[in-house]
Amino acid sequence: MHRVEHVMGFPVSLRVDDEGFDETGASAADAVFAWLREVDVRFSPFKADSEVSRYDRGELELAELSDELTEVLDLCEHYRAATGGAFDVRLPGRGLDPCAVVKGWSVQRAADLLRAAGARRFVLNAGGDVAASGGPWRVGVRHPVHADKLCTVLELTDGAVATSARYERGDHIIDGRTGRPATGLLSMTVVAASLTEADSVATAAFAMGAEGIGWAASLPGCEVFAVDGGGQVLRTEGFPVAEESSTAA
Amino acid sequence: MKRAIPVVVLSIAGLVPVWRYEPSAGGTTSTTESASTPSASASSGSSGTTSGTVVKGTTITTDKGPVQVQVIFSGDKITAVKMLQQPNHPQTTAAVPKLIAETLKAQSADIDTVSGATITSDAYKESLQAAIDAKG
Repeated sequence: MHRVEHVMGFPVSLRVDDEGFDETGASAADAVFAWLREVDVRFSPFKADSEVSRYDRGELELAELSDELTEVLDLCEHYRAATGGAFDVRLPGRGLDPCAVVKGWSVQRAADLLRAAGARRFVLNAGGDVAASGGPWRVGVRHPVHADKLCTVLELTDGAVATSARYERGDHIIDGRTGRPATGLLSMTVVAASLTEADSVATAAFAMGAEGIGWAASLPGCEVFAVDGGGQVLRTEGFPVAEESSTAA
Repeated sequence: MKRAIPVVVLSIAGLVPVWRYEPSAGGTTSTTESASTPSASASSGSSGTTSGTVVKGTTITTDKGPVQVQVIFSGDKITAVKMLQQPNHPQTTAAVPKLIAETLKAQSADIDTVSGATITSDAYKESLQAAIDAKG
């Protein structure tokens, strides 16, 4: 099974290789995309009637928030504190924007839905954030300069990988400590057990700039592949680089 | 060595926050100074490294204790960064990362999926992931 839909403003690609899943798994795949659309409606800061927007306008009290949004905001606060304020979903002069955490968290939940429905060998890719199960899967990391090239290939059996970069939307990740765009890195890729962690850590480390490399690398269970502002790669020893079967370009 | 020095600075800048080193206004400067005045020592110094020059950074005092970084060069390239001294603190000793420096490569390969900041639909259309999805 291979399905692609646009949800939350980006393409979401689902591939399930389990035998017989086409017949039995269609409803599970439907549930995955329905969940992601629900997340968009409830947690998008760009929708005026979302829970996030209503909370931001003061129409909802903290105690009135759903368990899901409370969990997301707790994660945001955790990473704000852990990065010394570099990662901040409440930047001065801007509305509450927890998108960076919502994305990884919601796609991880989608992967959990698939697993609960019996899928074992699948890969779910939401705008470049990948949750994988039952590998080995070969995951390429987009080259920060050349869109049609990869800068590395990693092998993932069960786990997640996320990349933060500024090659596409420009300087959209702000260092909350300075209020200015984070420009210290070209690209930051993090491998972790869950996409909730991989995506949050990749974005938070990117916001920190060069020092985010060491910070992310020091987190237990996180493997890092970073390209710094000068185009130098720094990666952790345990980053799961795939066996060479590539052709140099 | 000219090109390598900023990387040393960068590596140290990246490692130091592990000890929650709170730099004052001049914090970055002091890190830079420590890194740009390394005392080079022969590679026979520590472990049985195969080849390359081993450079020890100056010890930096943090509020958790002294920190010293060792960088191994192969020519102008850093091949390994290692902590020689680290504060004896259970929270931090377990979390010391070893970073490997490499040259950025542009490659093509047979892959199942692509990780990247593919957020907009226009960029997706031209992406490798779109090609993979189109293949079905």
